[in-house]
Amino acid sequence: MSSSLRIAKPDLDQLVSALTSRYQLFGPVDVDGVTVLREVKSADELALGAALDGPVKAAFFPQTETLLTYDGTTSEAPPGRDKPTAVIGVRPCDARSLLLLDKVFGTGKYRDPLWQRRHDDSLVIGLGCSAPLETCFCNSMGSGPFDAEGSDIMLTDIGDAFVAESCTDKGERFLKTAYKSQVQRPSQADLDKAGQARSKALAALAPAADYSGVKTALAKLWESALWDEIALGCLSCGACAYLCPTCHCFDVQDETAPGTQQGRRVRIWDTCQASLFTKEASGHNPRPGSKERMRQRVMHKFSYFVDNFGETACVGCGRCIRLCPADFDVRQVLERVKAEGRRTKDEERGTKKDVRHAG
Amino acid sequence: MKAGKSQTPSPKSQAEQLRETARMLLKEEKADLVVGYERGSSKRRARPVVIRDEKDVDRLIFDNTCGPSLVPFLRKTLRAAKGRDSKSQTPNPKAETSLRVAVVAKGCDGRALVQQVAEGQLKRDQVVIVGVGCNGMRDSRRASSDEKRDASCERCRYPNPPVYDVFVGEPVEVGTGDEFAGVAEFEKLASADRWAWFERELAKCIRCYACRNACPMCYCEECFVDQTKPLWLGKSAERPDTTLFHLVRALHTAGRCVDCGACERACPLGVRLGLLNKRLEQEVRERFGYTAGLSMEATPALATYSEEDKQEFIL
Repeated sequence: MSSSLRIAKPDLDQLVSALTSRYQLFGPVDVDGVTVLREVKSADELALGAALDGPVKAAFFPQTETLLTYDGTTSEAPPGRDKPTAVIGVRPCDARSLLLLDKVFGTGKYRDPLWQRRHDDSLVIGLGCSAPLETCFCNSMGSGPFDAEGSDIMLTDIGDAFVAESCTDKGERFLKTAYKSQVQRPSQADLDKAGQARSKALAALAPAADYSGVKTALAKLWESALWDEIALGCLSCGACAYLCPTCHCFDVQDETAPGTQQGRRVRIWDTCQASLFTKEASGHNPRPGSKERMRQRVMHKFSYFVDNFGETACVGCGRCIRLCPADFDVRQVLERVKAEGRRTKDEERGTKKDVRHAG
Repeated sequence: MKAGKSQTPSPKSQAEQLRETARMLLKEEKADLVVGYERGSSKRRARPVVIRDEKDVDRLIFDNTCGPSLVPFLRKTLRAAKGRDSKSQTPNPKAETSLRVAVVAKGCDGRALVQQVAEGQLKRDQVVIVGVGCNGMRDSRRASSDEKRDASCERCRYPNPPVYDVFVGEPVEVGTGDEFAGVAEFEKLASADRWAWFERELAKCIRCYACRNACPMCYCEECFVDQTKPLWLGKSAERPDTTLFHLVRALHTAGRCVDCGACERACPLGVRLGLLNKRLEQEVRERFGYTAGLSMEATPALATYSEEDKQEFIL
């Protein structure tokens, strides 16, 4: 099934043109030193070298999205995109995040037509991660810097060219149509270089941590003082959630022009770190402080999501560490949760022993 | 011992002196806690840390990665100590605490502490200001800015805190030149170019409020953006909403902003609007002769009036 070809870097535009003729294409773009996902029309707009700061989810689940407009008597949904969606230059961690979001919006009990419309016929072109950062921990989350999961085509940077490999039937079909002629196959030297890039990336990552005990430990930590302590290092902004590739909570607002019945219903990203997220109409807030909000974020990712979808809602991209204004480190939270879990387990054992002795 | 080699011990680094000071403050019970910086997720980054025990003081560092303002963390620490109202489980800002917290303060952070006291947000005797001279911070998250200091540090004229209880190390020489030169330069641009610059910056905003939450002067219990009755502005990340958010925040910090640069440093997407705050700082200084964060006794510019105040904008 899998086929591979060599794309010299100056020829990348050929791939981009093939993509833009069939798809609305999104890719990493440099804006004043920050890499964000934007719609792209040509290869020279792409910033493929740097890690993406903005999340890839934005291509399928925009931060602000009008669901319908209304005038008091009728309502109308805005037109969808003319073309299906494609993303290029997606790191394996981000490609995997799309599969997790698809569990929420695309294939689960409740399906979101807007997500499905964009995601179901989309094309994901991954880019192997040749230079993992200090904040990367994809290997601790069951993935790796060249993991093909979630990508239809995977690119590997070999210096003056990319090796492109299809990872799915969809990817294979696209490569066949886009490169009917003039296909350049990678040489053995190219493939060796790709192999070297992969081993170099793996060596650059810190050894994988074992977070398998986290979910079990969390079940006993609802009332733990741990949350008070770790919340002290958090500013309670929404940077982590908005930049997180798997965070998907949203708010729905009706914006009606004053004195009229005209307006729009709009869906906007929301974050559990905001006070308004759980504020009730009465004024009561069941999550009054950063302790409760921090606990919610950790629980959702490492416990509730596992209950609902069988996987952890974290791909180890490290944005929440790297881009956090307080340098808050979720890996440390997980380590402390593990340690706390071991402690409570030991205590329980101790209590049981005491009971036996007493009996 | 080789001949000619000096036997006097090498001078202690700023960080070493800081640790000694912190140890002394805890040991002599002059402070219950020390809020400072420790090494973060990489050598480029520092993160706020609360030191409770003498044995942990060696975690403290101070260098050009210590950008985040510690003032929001100090407030958070004090607030946590006040505890919660047991019935409603909501934080009780009115409760009292006798906790005394030492806080590491570079010039700008020292000014923010002074301003908090001047605005009645912090009790002077609750805080032990551990002053440090500051040579400027670099944007610790951007690989390209290893050598370059942040814009707010380049124009800084207050590298040493104006008020402190202990000073660690040597004071840093105050920079010369016009701190508003950047503003003057910007004002030379044509109106359309200036607006284009604003639009470009505002387009990056994702409304995460990292700027607001990292700001030492954004301490409102309830920010106007979190109010729903009335809803002052929409929740979207579209231009009208992001613009209004940033403009109102700039006006609300006018005459209070100490130009610490925490907002720009905190922004995950590189929104750079510090120049707007700087322009407002200039306006307040020229109109009212007031500079924020220099005196705990002076009445803040927007909390008083004088018959001599210029009021041509009203007439």
